[in-house]
Amino acid sequence: MDHSEAEQQMAAERYLLNELKPEEREAFEEHLFDCPECALDLSAGAAFVEAAKAQLPELAGALPAAAPSGSHKPVAQRNWWLSWLQPAFAVPAFATLLMILGYQNLVTYPALRTAADQPRLLPWAPLHGATRGGAEQTITADRQHGVAFPVDLPMPSAPGAYPSYSFDLYDTQGKLAWTGVVAATGESDGGGQRLTLVIPGAMLRNGAYTIAVSGIGARGERTAIDRYVFNLHLSN
Amino acid sequence: MQLYSFNAGYVESLCAGDPSAQEHFACYFTELLQLKLRSRLQSPQAIEDVRQETLARVLTVLRKDGGLHQPERLGAFVNQVCNHVLSEHYRAAGGCEFLDAKQCPEPVSMDADALETAAAGQIKDKVREILLGLSPQDRLLLKAVFLDERDRDEVCREFGVDRDYLRVLLHRAKQEFKAEYLKKIGNMMLLGINSRED
Repeated sequence: MDHSEAEQQMAAERYLLNELKPEEREAFEEHLFDCPECALDLSAGAAFVEAAKAQLPELAGALPAAAPSGSHKPVAQRNWWLSWLQPAFAVPAFATLLMILGYQNLVTYPALRTAADQPRLLPWAPLHGATRGGAEQTITADRQHGVAFPVDLPMPSAPGAYPSYSFDLYDTQGKLAWTGVVAATGESDGGGQRLTLVIPGAMLRNGAYTIAVSGIGARGERTAIDRYVFNLHLSN
Repeated sequence: MQLYSFNAGYVESLCAGDPSAQEHFACYFTELLQLKLRSRLQSPQAIEDVRQETLARVLTVLRKDGGLHQPERLGAFVNQVCNHVLSEHYRAAGGCEFLDAKQCPEPVSMDADALETAAAGQIKDKVREILLGLSPQDRLLLKAVFLDERDRDEVCREFGVDRDYLRVLLHRAKQEFKAEYLKKIGNMMLLGINSRED
């Protein structure tokens, strides 16, 4: 064993803990007797251990007892988890949880139920497509009601009609926020098919939105039809 | 301060009976021999007998042969002579005193000289400071291993640590202690390199 091996293997500590195998112990001792550094290291370690043995009964006596033997859970980990149950952490944490639960049950859920169960009036905003040379529109909406856009689909039998159409909504960041596909049905009264695209208030932000409409052919191929760009202004 | 190195000059001084060289030789190797022998012999008398015999034989060989072929390997020579003396002791005692890790895992104990050193006030204070800087769990761990002399594996399982943790704990404490220890023991354990000063 050379000096670097003795250091890397923590030979002095293992020697003091009597962890070295007989051949390892002999190899370390052979090195030890020739190496003043390792000799000092071992000597210091042994002196520390002896002095510590004299003081540990006093210092360790006032401490909590160790975990009972047979318990296989690491004590350090158990104590770490338990520390989160101390009042200093637990009380604020539970208070926060109660507040969140209270808000959800008293505000959020009732509002959602109302939106789902109750009739409501939505502002209706016809859009002009870019292909028709329409100028960019500004639409005012609010978060409570959202905004609704009328959609007129041509009759399936009309020239240039498609079996189905896709609607892609791009948000103020230019990211695709929503996409929907609707199949063209038979004629409704007055010809064509009228739908309403409703954008809920929760999705709305101030800024420019784009709705891209594409026709989907019989084999799934898509063809861009028109783009509608509008500036949304929120009133609340 | 006198510095010694294991070289031809040092060995010559020993052969010539130089008192300071002999004192250093005895003090330096007594420490190491006792650390070595404590893990092998139970009886303090046997330890002392082997120690004395080892040092005596080394000096006899040095004086008879006029030195060593490799004076820088004086330490290894002392270790080798100790092994021979130990073997003879086992044969004489019927081999019943041999201890190894499998038969009787005993922690290595300190010799009397180092105990006296350790008892010095500054050393004691430093050790106390180091122990108080440890977590309560670590203090209990050291107590279980070195004072209660419990099985290492059992202790590690109980405390939820592994053997590496125990070694590192001891290593850090020892490193922190070493500086203070060095001040106390002076140059008795230190050897300079290629120098001797009067």
